Amino acid sequence: MSEAAQIDTPVLAVESLSIALPKGGDRELAVENVSFAIKRNEVVCLVGESGSGKSMIAHAVLSLLPRGVGIVAGAVTVAEENPAQLDGRGLRRLRGGKAAMIFQEPLSSLNPLKRVGKQIEEMILAHQQPVPSAAEVQARVQTLLTQVGLPNPQLLERSFPFELSGGQRQRVMIAMAMANRPALLIADEPTTALDVTTQRQILRLIGDLRRERGMGVLLITHDFGVVADVAHRVVVLRHGKVVEQGPASEVLRHPKAAYTRELIDAVPKARLADIHGTIARPEPLLEVVGLQKTFRVKRGWLQPAREVVAADGVSLTLHECETLAVVGESGSGKSTLGRMIMRLTEPDAGAIRFGGADLRQLRGEALRQARRQLQIVFQDPFASLDPRQKVGDAIARGPMAYGMSRTDAMALAKRLLVRVGLSETTADRYPHEFSGGQRQRICIARALALKPRVLIADEAVSALDVSVQAQVLALLAELRQEMRLAMIFITHDLRIAAEIADRVIVLQKGRIVEEGSTAEVFTAPRQAYTRDLLDAIPGRAFFDQPGFAAGNASEFDDRVQRDALKM
Amino acid sequence: MDTVRAFLRHPSGMIGLVLLLVIVIVAIIAPKLFPVSPWEMVGAPFTPPGEDGLWLGGDTLGRDVAAGVAHGARVSLLIGIASALAAMAIGVVIGAMSGYFGGKVDLVLMRMTELFQTIPAFVLAILLVATFNPSLLTIILTIGAVSWPPLARLTRAEFLRLRHREFVEAALCQGERTWRIVLGHILPNAISPILVVTSLTVATAILLESALSFMGLGDPNLMSWGFMIGAGRTVIRNAWWMSVFPGLAILITVLAINLFGEGLSDVLNPRVLRRRS
Repeated sequence: MSEAAQIDTPVLAVESLSIALPKGGDRELAVENVSFAIKRNEVVCLVGESGSGKSMIAHAVLSLLPRGVGIVAGAVTVAEENPAQLDGRGLRRLRGGKAAMIFQEPLSSLNPLKRVGKQIEEMILAHQQPVPSAAEVQARVQTLLTQVGLPNPQLLERSFPFELSGGQRQRVMIAMAMANRPALLIADEPTTALDVTTQRQILRLIGDLRRERGMGVLLITHDFGVVADVAHRVVVLRHGKVVEQGPASEVLRHPKAAYTRELIDAVPKARLADIHGTIARPEPLLEVVGLQKTFRVKRGWLQPAREVVAADGVSLTLHECETLAVVGESGSGKSTLGRMIMRLTEPDAGAIRFGGADLRQLRGEALRQARRQLQIVFQDPFASLDPRQKVGDAIARGPMAYGMSRTDAMALAKRLLVRVGLSETTADRYPHEFSGGQRQRICIARALALKPRVLIADEAVSALDVSVQAQVLALLAELRQEMRLAMIFITHDLRIAAEIADRVIVLQKGRIVEEGSTAEVFTAPRQAYTRDLLDAIPGRAFFDQPGFAAGNASEFDDRVQRDALKM
Repeated sequence: MDTVRAFLRHPSGMIGLVLLLVIVIVAIIAPKLFPVSPWEMVGAPFTPPGEDGLWLGGDTLGRDVAAGVAHGARVSLLIGIASALAAMAIGVVIGAMSGYFGGKVDLVLMRMTELFQTIPAFVLAILLVATFNPSLLTIILTIGAVSWPPLARLTRAEFLRLRHREFVEAALCQGERTWRIVLGHILPNAISPILVVTSLTVATAILLESALSFMGLGDPNLMSWGFMIGAGRTVIRNAWWMSVFPGLAILITVLAINLFGEGLSDVLNPRVLRRRS
């Protein structure tokens, strides 16, 4: 085949693809009449909220659809082959050969009992004919590990997946995917489980490898920030149908569909102008002084216990009606801080002053009484509701525990359900009947039933779709005004922190590295670490955020142009 | 309910359930089927099966083996179920305290559990029954007292798993009292595997009871399968039916309970039911 023809042929062509769900699903077709193509050296982003069918398309490309789900119309062509018509052997050749895939959760995609070098070797041995010599395979594994930017390949090759960090695991997954020089890389939410800084590194790595090898990339994401950073073309999906597709700059700048507009608008942005300056009040509501916490992980008999410092002299104050954001990467101790304030995790030292008493000294009934005024909303709305308890009961239990009669408590629960945007009748239903966003509303209603003065939101919107995220944030902002709540908002997403908080605390390895008003921290960060975090915000160049340090729209246009020239 | 419907579609579970129902019905109507006491001599000694109107033959004293098997079903099921419930009561309380409170409570309770686990259950059961006089109540309590450790360990594991779940912590933050958190949130979510193991404990309890009766340590006033096998074992070479029929009864009952328990386990196991995401 001539060089020119090869460039013209798309590496992936999806033509009027329809995928049927098994009977009794929430809709008949998971994917309906979807068409798009990916050329060499092109990144196409499939964007949509959960349930939009974006993963289904990716799985159809490698013929990995779950049992009972099948293609009913249309076709997929990967590197001139139709996976639906291939036999087992042909499919094995295709998967990991011409088309490779990486997944959201790198830990569960790697075999926990095998050293990572062996797992990469396996990829090479399964595909290369004739089988290369052991020394050659070894050399290629080393090269791959170096190419994906892993330090010390010799040592790393002999590591087990659990010994690596999330970012390193995802790099290993990418090395495996790259092993046979695929023409197409499918990345299914590859950075959703990672920190912002790691996310940026991984996206860069994928971009570099694409440019080097000229492969096509199908990137599935729910984050328009990521789209703005890496995509050439965008396909927006909703309920299995294409809402809009086109060049990234076009779709992002001038979205034609109202739904695309909504999704782009829902990306949290700093609205620093709206935020009222904190008036210095003499009496803080909550005062945390010098909290100290070290976790000791035992590692067998002879090895010393591994120590993880989760809090190293953390102090903060919180005033009435104020929102304090606590940001940091995973492992920075931000969740532990929230849990220590709630007395769910016992600090090693320090004091938590609230309502004239040190919470750390309280026991039993006194603690129970104090807890009433401090409430928490957890990250995972699926884990934080008892699957066997009706929603109304879940909310009413709290007031009942403090002596309210059942009828009054149920009436209150119903009022709160209406307040958070659900109907009264939902009180008699079980949690599994609700979506993630609805469940999080229920959790908020449950926390508010006790009329707390302090609400701790521990990554309360991180598990939600971006449009739902915006709704829940708006609800929290309203409730804060209404109930004069003080909030501690724990999040890894700086965009959310900028949107909701008056003040920000940046945590790194259990230590406060920077503290100040949101405007100060975001426009004039004093610490390099804060600047790194800010730089790593996806789509920063595009979502020209008011007040953000050195983010501007021209950077986005530069990138688009640069990429266009290279193609 | 979904669970019931799923069970009805589980083939081996249903076989177990049907067998179990037949045994329960036989146990219930035994006095109607065999109005004469199973201890009564109704035929010549060593009557082979089918003769003199004795379908399953007569024993060394001419007692009806069929009547013994039917009446024995009452005893076996009663002791099996009652002692499994006793074991569950002990096991769940100890396991729940151990798992919920942790620390020193856990340490003490688990060492105690291990103590029980190191002594062979049957030897301990013999010792206990021989110390107290064998009666229905002491046998039930004895079997309960030697069968609880696996249930305690299971309950503890489930409690440890659920103890730090977010919905339990949310209940704690809501100010709910300890007993309400344990009974209202943790136990209901832990109950499925506990029920499965309890149902399987019924089977081992029936075997234990039979073994005790075989040794002559059963309640002397009750006709039981183990006693019948024990009494017939010396003459098994010329009168096989005296031991074989009660033996088959034990085999079928234990098999039925195991099939039922495994079916229950499959149905209650979320991985089989496939949680809706």
